[in-house]
Order: sequence, then structure tokens, then C-alpha cells
Amino acid sequence: MPSICLYFQVHQPYRLRDLRIGDVGTMDLQYFDAEKNRSVFRKVAEKCYLPANAVLLELLNSHPDFRIAFSISGVFIDQCKEYGEDVLESFRKLAETGQVEFLAETYYHSLASLTSLTEFLEQVTLHVRTIEEYFGQTPKVFRNTELIFRNELAHVARLMGFQGILAEGADRILGDRSPNMLFAPPKFRLSAAQERVIRKFRPFGKAQKDIRILLKNYRLSDDVAFRFSDRSWIGFPLTADRFTDWLMGSGGCTTNLFMDYETFGEHQWADTGIFDFLRALPRIWEERGIATRTPSETIAAWNKIKQPTECFDAHEFLSWADHERDLSAWQGNLIQIAALQALHALEKPVKKTNDLRLIDTWRRLQSSDHFYYMCTKYWSDGDVHKYFSPYESPYEAYRRFSHALCDLRQMLEARPPDSPLPTPDP
Amino acid sequence: MSLHSLMFGWEYPPLHLGGLGVACQGLVKGLLRNGVKVTLVLPHANKTAEREVTVLSTDDLSASTMSVPSMLQPYDTHGSYDIRVGNISREECEIYGGDIAGAIEKYTAASVQISKNITPNVVHCHDWMTYGAGKRAARHHRVPLVAHIHATELDRTNFHPNEWIYGFEKKGFEAADRIIAVSNYTKNILTEHYGIAESKIVVVHNGTSEHLSSFRAPNVHSLHGRKDAPMVLFLGRLVLQKGPKQFLDMASIVHQRKPEVQFCVAGDGDMLPEMISYAIERGLADCVLFTGKVQNKEVSELYRRAACFVMPSLSEPFGLVALEAAAHGTPVVLSKQSGVREVLDHAFTVDFWDTEKMADCVLTILREKPLAQQLQSEASRAVTYLTWQHQASTVRSIYEQLITT
Repeated sequence: MPSICLYFQVHQPYRLRDLRIGDVGTMDLQYFDAEKNRSVFRKVAEKCYLPANAVLLELLNSHPDFRIAFSISGVFIDQCKEYGEDVLESFRKLAETGQVEFLAETYYHSLASLTSLTEFLEQVTLHVRTIEEYFGQTPKVFRNTELIFRNELAHVARLMGFQGILAEGADRILGDRSPNMLFAPPKFRLSAAQERVIRKFRPFGKAQKDIRILLKNYRLSDDVAFRFSDRSWIGFPLTADRFTDWLMGSGGCTTNLFMDYETFGEHQWADTGIFDFLRALPRIWEERGIATRTPSETIAAWNKIKQPTECFDAHEFLSWADHERDLSAWQGNLIQIAALQALHALEKPVKKTNDLRLIDTWRRLQSSDHFYYMCTKYWSDGDVHKYFSPYESPYEAYRRFSHALCDLRQMLEARPPDSPLPTPDP
Repeated sequence: MSLHSLMFGWEYPPLHLGGLGVACQGLVKGLLRNGVKVTLVLPHANKTAEREVTVLSTDDLSASTMSVPSMLQPYDTHGSYDIRVGNISREECEIYGGDIAGAIEKYTAASVQISKNITPNVVHCHDWMTYGAGKRAARHHRVPLVAHIHATELDRTNFHPNEWIYGFEKKGFEAADRIIAVSNYTKNILTEHYGIAESKIVVVHNGTSEHLSSFRAPNVHSLHGRKDAPMVLFLGRLVLQKGPKQFLDMASIVHQRKPEVQFCVAGDGDMLPEMISYAIERGLADCVLFTGKVQNKEVSELYRRAACFVMPSLSEPFGLVALEAAAHGTPVVLSKQSGVREVLDHAFTVDFWDTEKMADCVLTILREKPLAQQLQSEASRAVTYLTWQHQASTVRSIYEQLITT
């Protein structure tokens, strides 16, 4: 019978103001809509983070063997500091139980893995240090933004010192194999130049010899995350008992349930019964003898039994987004590609300034959400992209983003070339 | 089921006079392709044209057409009709009617008379001037009445209607067994401002004419690679409804930031003199071109030349020009107070009064090449899905439903 590995993604981006071309050159990095960001954060805090954390704390206390994992983006922690110390505190309470694992990701929930190895490494290292600071533990397992993954990235994570990496259990790679096993990437070496950069910027002193891939069981994960309240779905209404039957029947050694934390209370509202569902699971699992494990416990258990580890061979990028499970949600059209390229073209001049506020702002523009909002894939069908976008259209998203970029570019050009380094903020 | 529609409609205008004639022609062709027989009654100010002529055909199908002597034109008002009638003889006034009310009465009587011997199973009429004829003909033939609404009096007058026209229109809506609205935007106006039951209204968006879907977006390099200054286009009658003043306000903001941009205001209307003075007042004398009336083939060239098309209408039931622009691969900025935004997703939308933002969208399109390219290719592709043949099949099923119940 498989054990259960629960991981929840926690993230909020910094949404852009209604920037105007007339302000380009004078924006002083004020790109974000503080009012909007605060109101979204508080809304989701009240609907999801606070009540869900309360439920989980109660469950962790009453079930000492219950385990969960979070990946909390750095920009989410930044927003906690601005808009919700209470939320941060409630996550800390969960960490104090010792039953919660925190994963590493790019601090800015960015697409840096697609554009710049150095930038990627710096962001992951920044995130690792932040998690250590706030939750008193060092992440051992890495999950990339939106589960974006390919072979090369698995080796980058291994060389950075991670034991495990998360990925989507995509059928096109798995074929008829079950996602409920652990996998390894095909063995190969990165270029010497890449390895040098990794050694220089990695968060840990040394590389790992092996890395294990944990695959999201997307059918069972999405039963909860997407279908829980869908009345036209054959599984409706989903009870904890019935879901547990499915889990027990799914075979293998671990069922990895990976989802956005906002599933609880925000995507699925409280009145759908999602919290009662969550509350019932640990007891039922205990009664039926199903264990829960964190990602690193899952890896340890797997390594202990020394079974051969099959290869998960992803030449092309995978992700957990949309039906396509590729990069098309962020890099599927001209404006998305142009926006990402233009943003990353500024990497060198931005970093040369050594201006921490400027670098931080440039990085906040890297959050994958900005590109997601520009997606025009099935735009006409009123799909999930529309639901999750704060702007009225993908073109509006691009308009605001391009103004921010223009302003940033002008600001960089206006700086005297050999200006003395400003003293970094303490 | 064999279907025969007696339609009181409008001619395809030789000059670009707005969407009504274009939409009527598109719908008739679409209906013919869907196996519906159509008899089309048209107002025609030519004494010799009383006998039957066939002007509308597609493949080997054709609609029989009947001409009624009348000087009515799409979008007529009391004022516009009076101006035309001022130039004709007393004798002609007798035939056509001396004012718009008289003209409608004469048109209605003649239309019903001319079509009394055919045997339709549905009567279909287009916009308020034809509603009287539709009502009487439907009663005479004892068949259901479909009232098609392309533009309400409220759209044309920025919600300050002529009460007589508003009343005439409302009676038409009430008499109809089914109303076809060209957008949800228009449907809302009918329920909100005319008190029409929602259940009586069906939305059928306008299609695009065949000639549009055959346009290719121009080579993407041509837009930004060329040396001459970018041009921003307005196309429509110069009347309050179309927002020419908003266009000039936008132009003046764009001009301050990018003085090399040219603006073209294409179309005629009673606001033309006022708009010329306004442009001069705003310091736009050197960068705005007023074309007056434009021929259809000139229109095509204008779309192709434009780097951006702006439709700032105050209230636009549909907005066929925006689809035409998109079909030509021209990036579009649309008023949110329009129906076409329901079918044209790949465009910027702004409130008509927010000319600051309108200017910002235009400037962004001019500055950002990938954005312009994407709007060009996506919007023109989207247009090809919206054919009259498909839209007319919905109209056919509306007929069938009315006849069988």
C-alpha cells in the first residue's frame, strides 16, 4: 500500500499598477499595486491561509505521525511581512510541530530556470537562506516554479546539493508506468562551464551523488484541487472515505498529492466542505494503516529498500499547467516570449548597479504569474487563465509590464556609468 | 422544412455608410446558403425601379428583390431626411413623403402592398424604419414576426432619444414574436431601457463578409519596417455615437508624446465641420487628415495603411468596422461600450471616456512590435471563424422554432 506525500504550494505575486506611458522614466520602481496586492492577500488569508493552517495545526497536534510539506515562495514571505505577520506566524506554528517539511524553490517564483543559470542559482540560494531563517530548517528537496522540469534541471538540482526534485507525472514520459514510484534522471554530465557556475552559486557545500524524482499523481491530486466541487463530475460528492479507497487502490510505494494551497478555501470555497474533507483524512488514513511521509522521508524510505530506480527521461520541459503540461502557459505566444527576453536582457546592467532595491524589483517582475496573465491560449473560451488574472485581458497584462520594463531600462540608461556603489540597505 | 422569409431590409451601400446594409446583405446570403428562400423588400429612390430586380445572389441561389419607391436611408433622422427632401420637387415629395414620418408611412404602405401576394412563412425586418411594414405584413400573411435590431435610438443619441422614434421602435419590439439582437450589449439595452422580456431576445452576432475572410494580414514587416510615419485610423460616420471627439482627444495625447504619428478620420457626417475646428483647436492641424466620404476600396487601403484602428463609440451595438480592421491585420483599440468586443478578444478595450488610457493603448501598440504582430495575426485569424453562413444557421433555427410552435 502506498504512503501519502502531501505538498502544498503557497505563493502570491506582486500585481502591477495601471502604469502609463507618460510616467515612464519617473516611476522610481513603483510598479506594483499595493492596494490590490494587500486586498488579494488579505482575502486569501481569511479564506484559505488562516483557516487551513488552523485545521492543519489541529491535525498535526492530534496525529503525531501526520506529515505534510510546503513550498512557500520568497515573494509570499515578503508579502506576509507587508500584509500579514499573522499568516507568517501561523506557518511558523506549523513548522514548530516538526512534522512539516519546507521545500526549496526560486525565491521569486520565477522562470529563471529557462533563462539564466546564474540568476536561477542565486534565487534558489536566497530562498534556502530565507527558509532557514524563518522556519529553522534547511530544505533538502527542490521544486521548480509550476513544476517546470527537464533532465538537465534534475542534474542542476543534484549538483546544488538537493536529494530530490518534484515533477509532473506526465503520461507522455511515463507511458504505462505508474507515477507512484521514485525515479532518477538519465545519467549525464553538464558542461564544465555550467558545473563551474553551479559550484560558485549553489546553496550547499557539496553536490549529491544521486537525485530522486517525485512525480505528482495528477489524477488523484486534481480530483481534490480541480474537481472536488464539480457537480457534473462522476466522483461528486467526494468523501474522505471514498478518496481513501482510491488512494489505496492506486498501488506503488507513494501517492504524491501536489497542489496549490489555495485549493483549501479559495479555489474550493469553505461551503463545498473542503475543510471537513481535509480534517477527516488523517484519522481515516490512520485507521486504515496508511502512512504519510514528507518528500525527504519518502526518498529515505525508498533508498532504504534498495530497489532499482527507473529512469524518468524528460528531454523537453514539463510543467503542471493546463492540459498541455508544457511551457505554453508562460511562453506560448509572441508577447510572452518578448516580455521574458526583454526582462532578462537587463540582467547584467541591473546586477552591475549593486542596488538591492532595484535588483529586488527587477526580480519581482520575474514571477511566472506576469507571463501567465499574458496567455492567449484558449483565451476565447473563458478558461482558468481568465479566472486567475487580475487584469481584463492578456494585452492589458502586457501593456502594464512593458511600461515597467521601459521605465526600468530608462532608469538604467540614465545612471552615470561609474556611479559609486550605494550602501546596501542593512 | 421549406422556409420562405419576407424581409424588409436595406441595400448594400456603394459608399461606406455603416454596417446596416452590409449586415443585411451578409445575412441574406447566409440564409440562402442555409436553404431559406428570401424575398427582400428595399427602399429605392428611383422611379423607374419599381419592377422586380435581382441583385442579391450567391452561387446559383438568389433572393428575389422588390424595390419600394422611398428616399429613406439607413440611420435617417428627422433632420437628415429634411435636408435631402429639401432638394426635390413637390411632386416627388408626394411620392416619397415630405418628412420622415410621412416617408415611413408611405414606405410601409407600399412595402406591404408590393409583397401581399407572396406566401412567406416568416416576416423579418431590420431596424425601426421597417418595423411598421414588418408588423402589417406579418398580420396580413398571418405568420410570425422577427425584428432584427442593429442599432437602437438610444445608441444613436447617447441615450437622449427622439421620443417619437423611441416609441415607434418600442412598439416594433413589442409586436415581434422574436427579436434578434446583434450583441449581448444590445440585448441588455432592450431589457434595461425598453422593458423587453429577456426570453424574447436571441443574440446573433454579425458575421464577416466573405471578402473579409479572404484578406491576408499584410507581411508583418511592413507595419514597422516602413519609413513613413505610423497612422492611426478612425472610420465611421461623424456623429455623436461614433465618438469622433474622443478620437481627437486621444490623438492630442498621442501627439504630445509622439509628434510624428498621423491620424486619419475617415467618414462623413454632420459633425465634420465641428471636428475640423476641434482638431485645429487642439493643435492637430498638421497631423489629422479628414477624408470625408470614402469608397469601399479606399477603406480597404486605409485599413492596410493603419498601424492601429481605434473605435471610440459611445454606444456601439456591434461595430463591424472593428472586425473589418482586424481582418486586414490592423491592431484594434475598442470602446468597451460595444458589442463587437464579445467576439473580438484580441484587442484592447477601454471605456470611451477614458481617452488617456485609449492613447496609452495606441502608444503601446506603436512602441511594442511583438504586441502589434500578435494582435495582427491573432485577431485576423479569429475573424475567419465568424461567417455569415454560420450565423444565418442560427437565424434559420429561430425561424423553425417560431413556425412549429
